[in-house]
Amino acid sequence: MSFPLLLLFGFAVLLLVLLGWVLRAPTRLAKSPADPALADEADRRNVTYFPQVKQALAADDFAFLASRGLPLLARRVRKERRRIALAYLESLRNDFLKLWGLARVIASLSPEVGVAQEVARLRLGLTFALRYEMVRITFLLGLAPLPALGSLSEVVGRLAIRLEATMRDLGERSALAAQLASSLDGRGLDTP
Amino acid sequence: MSSFPPYVLLLWAGSALAQLIVLVLLVPKGKFRKLPFFAAYIALGLCQVAFLVGLYSAPELAKDTIRNLAWYSECITLAAQALATTEILKVTLRPYQGIWGLAWRTLALTSTVVLLLVAMATRGSWDGEKWFEINRGYHLTFATAVIVCLLLIRYYSIQVPAAYKMILAGFCFYSCTEILINTVLQALLKTSFYAYQPIWQSSTMLSFIVALSIWAAALWQPFPVEARPRTPPSDSIHQRLSPEINERLRELNEKLLRLWKMEARPQ
Repeated sequence: MSFPLLLLFGFAVLLLVLLGWVLRAPTRLAKSPADPALADEADRRNVTYFPQVKQALAADDFAFLASRGLPLLARRVRKERRRIALAYLESLRNDFLKLWGLARVIASLSPEVGVAQEVARLRLGLTFALRYEMVRITFLLGLAPLPALGSLSEVVGRLAIRLEATMRDLGERSALAAQLASSLDGRGLDTP
Repeated sequence: MSSFPPYVLLLWAGSALAQLIVLVLLVPKGKFRKLPFFAAYIALGLCQVAFLVGLYSAPELAKDTIRNLAWYSECITLAAQALATTEILKVTLRPYQGIWGLAWRTLALTSTVVLLLVAMATRGSWDGEKWFEINRGYHLTFATAVIVCLLLIRYYSIQVPAAYKMILAGFCFYSCTEILINTVLQALLKTSFYAYQPIWQSSTMLSFIVALSIWAAALWQPFPVEARPRTPPSDSIHQRLSPEINERLRELNEKLLRLWKMEARPQ
């Protein structure tokens, strides 16, 4: 089989695989807690804990424990704190995925979707995914990449700001449309 | 007609019967009114079968003329296939104006890129196999465009009614198998396709029957009820959607503002 034909064959198989994947029911990535109050609390917690995580991973504590002649304890503490940092990283990812999902909902409801905005968001998602994997692997290897973790928090924060602006804009537009509709219903008469 | 082996004729009859069943299934509850292009595509398929039977039974026509006329009829059904698919996508994405705008632009771009790639890949190898190359190029473009659209739909978590999803899946499956069949036959049989026409005929017919079975299963499913009243579109859409959007946005806004306040608060 010549190379172009092989390429065509591979592409057709890829299309079939993609078709199967696309038609599969989407799976939920993050389980939402049954209690809405808990969900709110979880939303509140995840992004804002960076200073604490940063403090937990600071070298001072480990140096102090080592200087006191407690290397075993230092190692245990380091292991525990790494576990906490990994949990923080995971929750940061959940935050990002939630915000990303919200952005998609907003885009699907919007009467006009800008290609540039969508591409930018996709790029943001890919950047986050790449950084997330890099940071996670570095953590698993036993290192503490604080600057990278900080930039991940920044990505989530930036996305939240953009989303807020978009939602405000959409809200204003919808309110205007609703106002227009109600004034049309009342045939221009203001009713109390 | 006598030049074809009995199993090809049997498959041909099977495909005609399956098309007839699909067409009949489109009638109850006025399903054909919801998807007129799809109904027209199936009807055209049936007409094509009748046309081909007449064509292959005419002894006075030259082989080349028969072949060209058969491919011209295929062009018509392929155009109808593209229209039917666009119709389903449009019906599905109608409430999502923004996404539909994005989808058709993406489709145009993807189709142009794939067409250019196909033209480049098949340049200079058109002798005697022109129609097969065009056919494969079309199916390649078509399947890629549909998959891209389905990916967009999935990405934006848009709910597609099961019946429409199955119809799109049938189209896509048929196109993918056409590409595979054409490619494998070209690679394995080396020499001219025409020497192996029965193999090509039976394999493509078989994949078409599978697609028809998927469509028949899709038509058993209930079609979504048209929720949109037939009043001036822009006002009615806003009147219906605005309260829903506002409610949702208020909810989201509140959540995000709370999150944002927490983030902005000095530690």
